[in-house]
Amino acid sequence: MSSSTHPVAPGEVMALLDGELRVDRSLFVSAHIADCSECDKTTDSVRNVSTSLAKWTVPNMPVSIEDKVLRSLSHIKNLRTNEFLSGLRRLLSLQAVLVSGAGLVILWVFFGLNSGRHYRVASKIAAERDLPVDNAAPMASSPTSRATLSERGRNPITGRDNADSQYYVHKIPFQAQPGYAQLETQQPPMIARTVLLSIVVKDFDAARASLDAILARHNGYAASLNVSTLQGSARTLQASLRIPAPQLAAALSESKALGRLENETQNGEEVTQQHADLLARLKNSRETEGRLQDVLRTRTGKVKDVLEVEQELARVRGEIEQIEAEQKTLEHRVEFATIDLKLAEEYKAQLNTPAPSVLMQLRNAAVNGFRSAFESLLALVLFLAESGPSLLLWLALLGIPGWRVWKRYRRAQSMRSPAAAYGRLLDSGRGQPSIPQSRRPKLPGFGITILLVRMPPGQPCNFARFPELLPKNVGAAASSCGIL
Amino acid sequence: MLAFTQGSAAAFTELFHRYKQPIYGFFSRRLADPATAEELTQETFFALLRAASRYEPRALFRTYLYAIGFKILRAHRRKAAFRAAFLGYRNSLPDPSKADSNESALWVRRAVEKLDPLDREIVMLREFEQLSYAEIADLLHLPLNTVRSRLFRARTALRELLDPSTAAASSEAQKASPAKVSQSAVAPGARKGFRL
Repeated sequence: MSSSTHPVAPGEVMALLDGELRVDRSLFVSAHIADCSECDKTTDSVRNVSTSLAKWTVPNMPVSIEDKVLRSLSHIKNLRTNEFLSGLRRLLSLQAVLVSGAGLVILWVFFGLNSGRHYRVASKIAAERDLPVDNAAPMASSPTSRATLSERGRNPITGRDNADSQYYVHKIPFQAQPGYAQLETQQPPMIARTVLLSIVVKDFDAARASLDAILARHNGYAASLNVSTLQGSARTLQASLRIPAPQLAAALSESKALGRLENETQNGEEVTQQHADLLARLKNSRETEGRLQDVLRTRTGKVKDVLEVEQELARVRGEIEQIEAEQKTLEHRVEFATIDLKLAEEYKAQLNTPAPSVLMQLRNAAVNGFRSAFESLLALVLFLAESGPSLLLWLALLGIPGWRVWKRYRRAQSMRSPAAAYGRLLDSGRGQPSIPQSRRPKLPGFGITILLVRMPPGQPCNFARFPELLPKNVGAAASSCGIL
Repeated sequence: MLAFTQGSAAAFTELFHRYKQPIYGFFSRRLADPATAEELTQETFFALLRAASRYEPRALFRTYLYAIGFKILRAHRRKAAFRAAFLGYRNSLPDPSKADSNESALWVRRAVEKLDPLDREIVMLREFEQLSYAEIADLLHLPLNTVRSRLFRARTALRELLDPSTAAASSEAQKASPAKVSQSAVAPGARKGFRL
């Protein structure tokens, strides 16, 4: 059977039985099979093979495998939960880094570029309005800034001429000035103001009362206050005052009116970027907290995973609280300016200081003397108690050998000296010393030596035994005298 | 399967109950040891569980599942060949008479074992796993017409092996010219593009 002699290939007959022929071809092949006995045999053959193969059956799958696979289903689910958590952590960390980085870049570009311009615009407009220049520009009190002030007015708070205070200028309508609309649309810079004042007052008590009144009037408070009253010196007051920033200028003016201003330092730290960073971090942390809460609500898993998520949630909550505290502190620094005030009283020497009596002075001197003697003795005892053992140890280790070496050296030196030889001569028994042992002359090693030796009768004085006693010239002289 | 990838455990249970017996039969008919067949069946479903997150419905799930089974079967045969070649281990083949309780099944099994490996796989996938030609071609990476022709050839060979009268006629014909079945058995697995 071939396709050239047969319109239907055997493979098509098989495909028809397997249902793999197209519908039109199936109709044709079916019709052909009904008329063709050879194809009918092929059909029977394929069916017989299938019937025979169907006898090869396999037993049912054991139940143990089913149990194992279905038990592993929960394990795989946990694995997937862990993968989800780890992926979420990676996503959160990556997202947090990206968002924080992008936020910082945007804030830096926005505020970094605008802060300088904003600062200049604020200075200009504040100079043109009747606003304290201090609030807008920390350096407005510099000579350059003062030179730009066109006209001076009166301080509305102190009523004094601003030529003295140099902080207030005459009001000019500001709507007409270019750049104001831009200033209004931008967020004002956050500046933490710090002022250091040193004032000398004549009446300390009155100045203290005025200071309290200033604090009460401007809704400020004293963060710290220290009054020092020493005998024989002027009273001083050191205080750290917190004044609402809008009322700083007025409070400063009134504080300066307390007395003579000796020193003034003003600082303005712009914390806008720090504040923006805190806001961005706070936003990110809150979003993270929300996502973690969603995970807790929607995801189920093992207790360990739930605990891990809760720990992460607690950490994020702690971070949020910390950022909020930093934000409040920063905002408080901006809202309340700080005046570090040093108030000193003009010192007046006391004329009626009572002088101590002589007896009292003697008594005090005696007491001080005994105390110093006792203290010095105690110090010595303490020194010996503390360092004595060490000193004794090193003295024993180093001093005794050193002393012995020194003694040996001295002995060797004395043996070689003329005096030693003279002593040995006298101690030899052949001569009597003309002077006692203790009064023997110290014979120098050089010069002229005069020896007075009293010898027993018949005993020659043999100096030849002691050659070191006599130098060469002396030996020659003695020989010439017939002594030897 | 899509429901299972989205976290439905009931979907997997349904899939498992639907395909546990076909997969077990797939391995049982290809392996002599029933314990190994059980082990590989279990491994197939474990692999399905592990790969669920990466599942993409590009083909029928049945094809996907049998593809996993084929990979596991190939890996098992590779390890068995390695152990036999280098470690001297030989698979302890159980007695086929015990494995297959009835005589007809034993007869069929021996007939199938005589086929060319590729023909054997095609006919087994068609007859036992009931895969379509397209699925078989997709699974074995063969053209569709090749599948059809090989299937017909395998069925013809099986008819000769299973029918004694046909087998006698065939043996007489072999004396005259070498039989196609024996030629295929001489070079098993030598066909291009397929390895089992």
